[in-house]
Amino acid sequence: MITDLHRIGIKFLTARGDDIPLTDFIPIFHAWIQEGKLEDVMIDVAEYSHVPAGPGTMLIAHEGNYAIDETGNRRGFVYYSKQEVSGDNLADRLAVVCRKNLAACKLLEAEDTFKDRLAFDFGRIEIFFNDRLNGPNSDETWQAFEPVLKSFMARLYPNTDFEARYETGDPRERFSVSVSLQDDAASAEDLLARL
Amino acid sequence: MTTWKETLKDEMPAELAQEIDTFETQIGLKKQGKIDDKLFAETRLRRGAYGQRYDNGQRHDGVETRELHYPTAATKGPDTLWDAPGMMRIKIPFGGMNAEQMDVMADLAEEYSDAICHVTTRQDIQLHYIHIDDTPDLQRRLAAVGITTREACGNGVRNVTACPISGVCNDESFDVTPYSKAMAFFLLGHPDTQDFGRKFKVAFSGCKGKACGLTNIHDLGFIARKKMVDGEEKRGFEMYVGGGLGAVPYEAKPFDEFVPETEILPLAQAISRVFARLGEKRNRGRARIKFLIDKIGIDEFRRLVLAEREILPHDERWTGYLDDVRAWEETPVKEPAELTTGVSDAQFETWRATNIYRQKQKGYTTVTVALPLGDLTSWQMRQLADIARKYCGDNVRLTVEQNIVLRWVAEADLPAVYRELEHVGLAQPGAGTIFDVVSCPGTDTCKLGISSSRGLAGELHERLATRYQQFDSAIQGLRIKISGCFNSCGQHHLADLGFYGVSRKVGGRTVPHFRVVLGGQWENNGGSYGLTVGAVPSKRVPDFVDRITEKYLAEREGEQESFQAFIQRFGKRELKKVLDEFSAVPPYEMDPSYYSDWRDPREYSITDIGVGECAGEVVSRIDFDLQNAERLYFEAQLQHEEGNYQKADETAFQAMVVAAGGLVRLENQDVPDEADKVVPEFRKRFYDTGLFHDKYAGGKFAEYLFNRYEDTNREYTADKVRLLLEETQLFIEAAHACNTRLIEQASAERKAKLDKD
Ligand code: SF4
Repeated sequence: MITDLHRIGIKFLTARGDDIPLTDFIPIFHAWIQEGKLEDVMIDVAEYSHVPAGPGTMLIAHEGNYAIDETGNRRGFVYYSKQEVSGDNLADRLAVVCRKNLAACKLLEAEDTFKDRLAFDFGRIEIFFNDRLNGPNSDETWQAFEPVLKSFMARLYPNTDFEARYETGDPRERFSVSVSLQDDAASAEDLLARL
Repeated sequence: MTTWKETLKDEMPAELAQEIDTFETQIGLKKQGKIDDKLFAETRLRRGAYGQRYDNGQRHDGVETRELHYPTAATKGPDTLWDAPGMMRIKIPFGGMNAEQMDVMADLAEEYSDAICHVTTRQDIQLHYIHIDDTPDLQRRLAAVGITTREACGNGVRNVTACPISGVCNDESFDVTPYSKAMAFFLLGHPDTQDFGRKFKVAFSGCKGKACGLTNIHDLGFIARKKMVDGEEKRGFEMYVGGGLGAVPYEAKPFDEFVPETEILPLAQAISRVFARLGEKRNRGRARIKFLIDKIGIDEFRRLVLAEREILPHDERWTGYLDDVRAWEETPVKEPAELTTGVSDAQFETWRATNIYRQKQKGYTTVTVALPLGDLTSWQMRQLADIARKYCGDNVRLTVEQNIVLRWVAEADLPAVYRELEHVGLAQPGAGTIFDVVSCPGTDTCKLGISSSRGLAGELHERLATRYQQFDSAIQGLRIKISGCFNSCGQHHLADLGFYGVSRKVGGRTVPHFRVVLGGQWENNGGSYGLTVGAVPSKRVPDFVDRITEKYLAEREGEQESFQAFIQRFGKRELKKVLDEFSAVPPYEMDPSYYSDWRDPREYSITDIGVGECAGEVVSRIDFDLQNAERLYFEAQLQHEEGNYQKADETAFQAMVVAAGGLVRLENQDVPDEADKVVPEFRKRFYDTGLFHDKYAGGKFAEYLFNRYEDTNREYTADKVRLLLEETQLFIEAAHACNTRLIEQASAERKAKLDKD
């Protein structure tokens, strides 16, 4: 049942910055831990630059994992929850996960090290479920999720058309939906204000 | 709400499902504060749930040690916070996996960990950053594909390893795979392996000369041999005991040059009994069997083992497994076919030169999938499972060099396999060469790590891979292995170039270093250990590697001189001179980069080193039995609450039997948890002798057990069963008290003896 889902992930693809070495993110994430920049209990940095199309450089937190991620050979910033997420329904929980991700993206874009070199396209979003029990990769899950997605997107981008694409593909892969906007994307800051 | 327990109930073997339910109950009891930390720590370790760095809630962030503010202060072991993520070690006997298991592993890594499957130097898979509450479901999903995590950590028999090319190897006496499998499952959960003071590692090798099984570094090692007995060829094993790496490496000692296949299981059992009885329990630094053998000598050890073997109660499984051995076979998915046409692809040829091994079965090869630092992503794991399905079936093995071997690949398919591996980023050449660097987790996740072995390994891997083609073949074939500390999980003693993490104080600051161990022997089952020379700052290790390899190339005595021979001839004094070129550390103000580790920019500190769980907690079998009794009692209470009175009555009685059985086994370890066996033994040894008697209540609590045992006409009413539950609780308490008295008595006797001496 997708209503029981808590292991939810959101990825915002990069607009630029795909050439920045993954190892350059290591000191940034360590500094975030030192300075307590994120609301989660941040634990450590894990680095997987040696595996292609992998989880990249990660900031491991108690509540979930943050990462500059290259899964699917698409670089982006990802956050996925590993614990229960607050919120009465899935759309609310999605909003919580999204807010945490946006907060990290905003910080990252503001880092001096990446000035003018890194930007995210907040109009290209991937939403996935890390839970094959409650959200298997199937048409049924998509049918159940579509209205939730609409209500979430109405909050994130009110009155904006978007295209959501779901393809089962390999049914063993986790359930994942790509969302893209028809119009220009908003900034992390604006989106955060809507959540 | 749907659960994995419900979803998989028909797919899990009943015994595994029951064990996991038990573990889940133990988690519940721990949360209620009904199990003490030490006992729960060993319990979870024996289920493969290991601690991870910073799980005491403290972390040095480069400036100072700060507290990690987890939601609760609950603990899952001494100084180990409940909410702190941990590592799950998944035992894969002889490293053998099938495609379905690979798929599940990929899912688990993605859902509970960080989407990375890590292959270890013991043919295990480790998943990191796992929450303890997720472990029962994780274990259920493994159980549904025939994998148990039982006894993956803690003071028990660890994963039984074997040559990854056993069965297809050109040099082997015979395929050791089915033997290693039989040994793994015979010792798993065996009552005689539950009371060790430390871990116990077993390995099988198909031959003596090559490296694969590394029997020399194992507590118990078997090398396949054939022997003519009365004109008939018999299978058996050359058996070794007491090897081990760690801070003080020991080479294994020969126990018997030919143990018939019918005797390997009972001898392993006898060794387990001797180790459990005489091995050190208090000082964990000297608790491995190698220290016991060293202390009493191999001859006395052998005598004790053989005497124990004589009195072992017969077990059908000792020889029953041989039917499986004879029936053992692997099924390729393709017909054999040789590669007869040339392939004009230089990259393919580079890969083929290092990652392919021609099997003894004509037309087939093995393909080694070289994994950088032993890692692959969930997606890669799934794709690899598909490649296996298509080209080699379920014939996949993990290796102790942290790679994956596909067996039974038709040689003619190699170009296609290469292309498919390349497509998923798994066609890295150089398996078993200088840039296929092996590393333990080190400071990334291990509580004992001193220096960043993975950071250094990643750095060396990257640098050496780009220059690999320019190296002389003598350099290409060298092996590098790195451990984050002296415990040697990276097996650095066996490498041409081995390193282990240490630290040095320079100008009041701590600087990460690696101690250099040169000229170890990988061949001959890890035949000899390297020469330990001095330490180099972490950041100078790559330069040192360049220098020593150049020196070898320039100064070796002819092309025949191996690196190992060169190191021996070159000697410590000369090596020291080379080392000294790299040992200086500039002041912090001049170059602060020395004061942080590879791929970790925090200013280096060793304050994060915690108490390792490799050693587990020394908890005796009676503690587990009493815990088990408590759990059964708890379940009986739930059954009573649910109105299932008969079941509650039976479970409560079983709880008493288990508690009594634990005490009985202090004197006679062969008594199983069956009422008809336990109750008479308990009466004879604990009731009639007064040992169980309470100071005030006398033998009353024991009578609860006897009354229930003798009552053949039970009525299962709510009240009657409630009464039995209360009696059960009192009985278990009395068993605890009796155990405590016995421990105090033994300790008083020891003290008196010492005083007298
Ligand atoms: S060698 Fe040391 S650092 Fe590495 S895994 Fe073993 S105990 Fe941990």
